Amino acid sequence: MNIGRRSFLKTTAAGAAAAALAPRRSRAQAKAIRVGYTLSATGPYSVGAGITQAPNYSLWQEQVNAKGGLAVKGEGRRPIEFLSIDDRSEIETAVRYYEKLMGEDKVDLILPPWGTAMNFAVAPVANKHGYPMIGPTVSSNKLKELSFPYFYAILQQPDACMGAFAGFLKDLKTQGKVGKLGIAYVSDLFGIEMHASLAPQLKDTGLEIVDTKSYALGVKDLSPILKGYKAAGVDAFLGLTYPPDNILATSQAKESDWNPPVFMTAVGTAFPFYRDRFKGAEGVSGVAGWNPKMKYPGAREYYDAHVKKHQKEPDRWASAFAYASLQILEQCVGEVGLDRKRIKEMLDTTQFSTVAGPIKFTKGVNTTTPGMVGQWQKGEFEIVWPKSLATATVVVPKPAWA
Amino acid sequence: MRATLWAEIAVSGLITGGIYALVALGLNLQYGLMRVLNVAHGEFLMLGAYVTYSLHSAWGMNPLLTLLVTGPAAFAVGLVLHRLLYARALEGGSPEVLEGRSLLISFGLLFTLQNAALLAWSADLKGYEYLSSPLRIAGAVLPANRLVAASVALGLGLAFYAFLRSSMTGKAIRALMQETDGARLIGINVPRVHAACFGVGIAMSAVTGSLISMLFELTPFMGLPYTVTALVVVILGGLGNVLGSIAGALLLGLVETAAVYLTSSDIRVIASYAVLSLILVLRPAGLFGHK
Amino acid sequence: MNRTLGRVVALLLLGALLIAAPHLLSSYYRSLVLALLADVALAVAWAFFSGPTRYLSLATGAFFGLGAYLTAMVGARLAWPLPVVAGAGAAAAMALVVGLLALRLRGPYFAVFTFGLAELAKHALIWYEMRVTGTVGRLLLAPPGPIALYYSVLALAALCVTTAVLLRRSSWGFALTVIGADEERAQTLGIDSTRVKVGTFALSAAFMGAVGAAMAPRWTYVDPQVFNPLVSFQTVIMALIGGTATVLGPVVGALFLGLASEILLLRFRYLYMLALGLALIAVVLVFPGGLSSFAVRLRGRDTSRPLA
Repeated sequence: MNIGRRSFLKTTAAGAAAAALAPRRSRAQAKAIRVGYTLSATGPYSVGAGITQAPNYSLWQEQVNAKGGLAVKGEGRRPIEFLSIDDRSEIETAVRYYEKLMGEDKVDLILPPWGTAMNFAVAPVANKHGYPMIGPTVSSNKLKELSFPYFYAILQQPDACMGAFAGFLKDLKTQGKVGKLGIAYVSDLFGIEMHASLAPQLKDTGLEIVDTKSYALGVKDLSPILKGYKAAGVDAFLGLTYPPDNILATSQAKESDWNPPVFMTAVGTAFPFYRDRFKGAEGVSGVAGWNPKMKYPGAREYYDAHVKKHQKEPDRWASAFAYASLQILEQCVGEVGLDRKRIKEMLDTTQFSTVAGPIKFTKGVNTTTPGMVGQWQKGEFEIVWPKSLATATVVVPKPAWA
Repeated sequence: MRATLWAEIAVSGLITGGIYALVALGLNLQYGLMRVLNVAHGEFLMLGAYVTYSLHSAWGMNPLLTLLVTGPAAFAVGLVLHRLLYARALEGGSPEVLEGRSLLISFGLLFTLQNAALLAWSADLKGYEYLSSPLRIAGAVLPANRLVAASVALGLGLAFYAFLRSSMTGKAIRALMQETDGARLIGINVPRVHAACFGVGIAMSAVTGSLISMLFELTPFMGLPYTVTALVVVILGGLGNVLGSIAGALLLGLVETAAVYLTSSDIRVIASYAVLSLILVLRPAGLFGHK
Repeated sequence: MNRTLGRVVALLLLGALLIAAPHLLSSYYRSLVLALLADVALAVAWAFFSGPTRYLSLATGAFFGLGAYLTAMVGARLAWPLPVVAGAGAAAAMALVVGLLALRLRGPYFAVFTFGLAELAKHALIWYEMRVTGTVGRLLLAPPGPIALYYSVLALAALCVTTAVLLRRSSWGFALTVIGADEERAQTLGIDSTRVKVGTFALSAAFMGAVGAAMAPRWTYVDPQVFNPLVSFQTVIMALIGGTATVLGPVVGALFLGLASEILLLRFRYLYMLALGLALIAVVLVFPGGLSSFAVRLRGRDTSRPLA
């Protein structure tokens, strides 16, 4: 190799490298919008975060950046840049990182972490720094005791969810299809609150509550409870559960050869994983909030885009609300820019139109979306209650286990 | 009605205990024999579960058959880990120092393995159905998969116990468990036996995981509760005592199941702990342990 | 003489820096320093009992959780820093009760028994809360400000280190070492080993409960999951990584683990657990006596003490 060729190659290589590293003048001249958050990638919260929030955050970013970025009033489109870490399901880690995002890095916007406990911990920090935060995975009666003007809960709260359960069961009772209830709830905040919300609402339904049993998180055997209910002739089982106990309850009901006319497991039922695990889970019902058949603008498109990008379906409850919260943010930024105070004002006063339907916040809580009951029918989690939003009629009694 | 209830409690309890027995036995071979506090024990259970899950989902392999894969593979991994990590760090030093150092190494291993599993299988819940149709025996309805899992686990545990009693290697291991220095004096190759036992311990954990995958959903973080249970069983039965681990596991399983049936599942942990406390008050070295 | 003077000056300087820190740093760095100080307090508290006596305690999570949950329960009614004192007291009381039973057990039996405490406390609490109060978890609606929390934790860390140093030089501390070396011999020498062991165990627990109580206001909502067995492991890791032969060891270990975790967490989104795990293993294999033993060796001192 002679010197001439070597230096030619060197110059070409250097030139190519420079061209690759040099800022592309044609696009991306706009400064990126920095959006910060933590999500649990490890630890017990990672399951929920990975199903409900993470896929929606990345989908939204991809879609928005494909259009050239987020439209900011008066500035044109600016691409979204995420700053995030894994909070390890540790509250302290999340709190500290949000302090960093808002106090140190001074990001433009923030997105919430997963779960009620985490959101409770991060909300005061967001509030102190004046960053609006819309939480799609917060559902707790304790929210009423908190006063954080910059925090918004978009998911249905326990009273609404359990109101739907009670209404659903009451209708069935009137039709003579159920009479004896057996309840089981997880002794964790959410389970306890769901039970506390449900009990009073069941009072005037005329249903007989055979028994109510609680079980600990991490339980390995629910068959004592299920067998007891089977022996007592319970015809409607209500599991106020979380994954994976809802899966355990279902598989053990099957193993105990018990197929009551109504089988409900509250949370986790709306996950496509649950449907696939039980070969369709035909007839099982639970807490619902959305499915792609609903006549909301962009609902079907959202479903298709999620499946295309992640090779998995969005869950039929909180996923759509996570995406909706991002749509809401997008709309606010488009109309009032990145002034967080003005975004907050808009959040307080506007009715938004999203893939999860119309959403309006009253005192920081979404009061537009009612509680709903869903039931797996032929591969889709149909809304079966309330009738006004139903996408199918309920099937009672539930078909045999597959 | 009463008799059926007690029978159900007994069967359920023995099933739970049978599964505990194998994973506890594996830990006993490490903690009891070498004072190696392997807090990553449950992580091998987790890996065994995931391997079985993958083999079953991807190639339709019968979960019971996968034991022939996970068992030997885990044994090999155990040998390698012992050689690379523990053998060196455990040279010289009192048992407490060994315990402390092995705790550190195992903790590092725990992090590493969980992260590896996360990368390989993601945090999404995974599970499959196997033998989930109910069995009807003498008027009671029993889950076939739990029966099979427990029988295999207990069977392997008892087989190992029999091996310890009858074979030369088994006697060597028992000698080591009871009196390390004496064993060395009569010519037992201590490092070799240690490595083999470590490997067997890991294999037992992985095999339990394979069996458990038939019953419960998998996450990369499912291991620690089993490590905790294994530790409790080992202490309950007496450190270094193989039969003690089996008996302790069955006892614990029965206590837990009875507590859930008779009161509520919140009481389960309290009941287990109460029994553990009681036994340790009366016998500070466990049911069958010795000073 | 010069060496002592130098040490005193260094300590005063460090103290001044730590006291000034919350006014100089942004909220994130202040939180980071606070977290490190909390870790230091836990590790030192663990080590001043478990180091000399060689009883590997895995009860830290139970004591820490007790302090945290207690603050959540009574915090609204007690002026700060009384909840911290309450947390310390409650943890000490628990340690006295548990210690009387547990400290009759040897090595591994003690370790596993204490490990179960966190789980037991959690389930007992859930059972109690559900039956008596009907709810689980408490909201801390009016927590003390971040500066007050910082100084609380700083004070605890300083107090803990001082206690450890004084203990080491006292006859009580000597008794602990003798107990650790040969407990039966200690009895024959006239040491009331039960009193010494249980007393120190309770003192150590008091600090752990206090730290839990001081940290809880940062989380707004505290539920029984705060009784976390992993806290027990992490505390032991910090102390052992640093080395329990000196008071400085656990301090070094806590700082090392705390900073390493934070740096790795910020840098590696998907691989930090792997990196941390490998780092831990590497440290143990290279420095079996702990990081501080390496530092001490550099200075040429004799580390062949009969301790850990």
